[in-house]
Amino acid sequence: MKRVLNSVPLVAFGILVVVLYSFLNHENEQLESVLVDQSVPEFKLPSLENPNNILSKSSVNKLPALINVWATWCIACRVEHPFLMQLKNESTLTVYGLNYKDDRNKALDLLENDGNPFEFSIFDQQGKLAIDLGVYGAPETFFVDKKGIIRERHVGALTQKVWKEKFERLLNEDTDV
Amino acid sequence: MFKKFFTLMLVTIIYSLVSANEPQVIYPFEDSVHEERFLSLLNELRCPKCQGSNLAGSNAPIANDLKREVYELVKSGKTEEEVKTYLIDRYGNFIVYDPPFRPDTYALWLGPLFIFLLTLSIILVILLTRFSNSKRNQ
Repeated sequence: MKRVLNSVPLVAFGILVVVLYSFLNHENEQLESVLVDQSVPEFKLPSLENPNNILSKSSVNKLPALINVWATWCIACRVEHPFLMQLKNESTLTVYGLNYKDDRNKALDLLENDGNPFEFSIFDQQGKLAIDLGVYGAPETFFVDKKGIIRERHVGALTQKVWKEKFERLLNEDTDV
Repeated sequence: MFKKFFTLMLVTIIYSLVSANEPQVIYPFEDSVHEERFLSLLNELRCPKCQGSNLAGSNAPIANDLKREVYELVKSGKTEEEVKTYLIDRYGNFIVYDPPFRPDTYALWLGPLFIFLLTLSIILVILLTRFSNSKRNQ
C-alpha cells in the first residue's frame, strides 16, 4: 500500500509532463471568429487601383465571394497567391482583396508582376476594416455567401487542402440553392 | 568591485523594466478620467497576435492599431464596458481574458478544482495512514 502511495507524486508528475508537452504542439491556434454568420461590416475606403474610387460594402456585390486579406510584407500571402489565381481562373467564385497596411505602389507592382486574382482590392492602410473583421494577421480569408453573410474564416495561407476542408462545401451549398 | 557590478546589474534590470513598458506613441488626453480608463483598458485587453501579452506590453502592429482604436473610443467618451463590448464583437471573448465555459474549456475551468480535490485526498490518505500507524505503535 505504502509503495503505491509513494509513487503517486511521480505518476502525477508524469501525467502533467505529458499533458503540458502535448499543449506545446498546439501552435498557431486559430481564434474563434465572432464574425461568422454576421453580415460584412460597413466600410468606406479607397480602392487600391484608384485612390479616388471610394468603395463600400455595396461594392462587394458579386456573390458568393472570398475576401482575402493580403499585403506585400506578408510572406504567407505569396504562398497562397498561385492558389488564388487558380480560383480566379477555375471557379465561379469572386475573390476580393483587402490590402492590409501596405504601400500602394509596392502592392500594385506585386499584382502586375505575379498576376491579380482580385476583382478589386480595398486599400486599408490603417487597418480599420481589418479591425471590424477581427483580423489579427495576414493572410486571412473570409467566405461571403450569396446573402452577404460571412460563413467561414481562415487565418493563414489558403491552400488546396484548406479550400477542400473549409470552403468548397460552402460554395457548393450556395450554388445549389 | 562587487558593489559596482551589483549597481550595474540593478540599473540594467530597472531600465529593461521601464523600456519594455514605454509607449511608442503618445496618446494625449485632456480628461484624466479618460486617460486612466485608457491605461487600465490597455492592461486588461489581450493582444490577439502575441497571445501571451496584453495590449500595453505589445508592440505588434495589430496591438498598436487596437491601441489607437481604444484611444479613439475612450476619447469619444465611451465607457470601459462599451469599449470591451466593441472589441468582443470583433475579436471574441479571447480579447478580455474571459474564456467561455464550454466543452473545449472544461479542463481550463474545472482543472484547478480537480487538482485541488486530488491534492486534498492525497493529503487525507497520508494523514490517515500515519494516524493509524501511530495508533498501532502505541
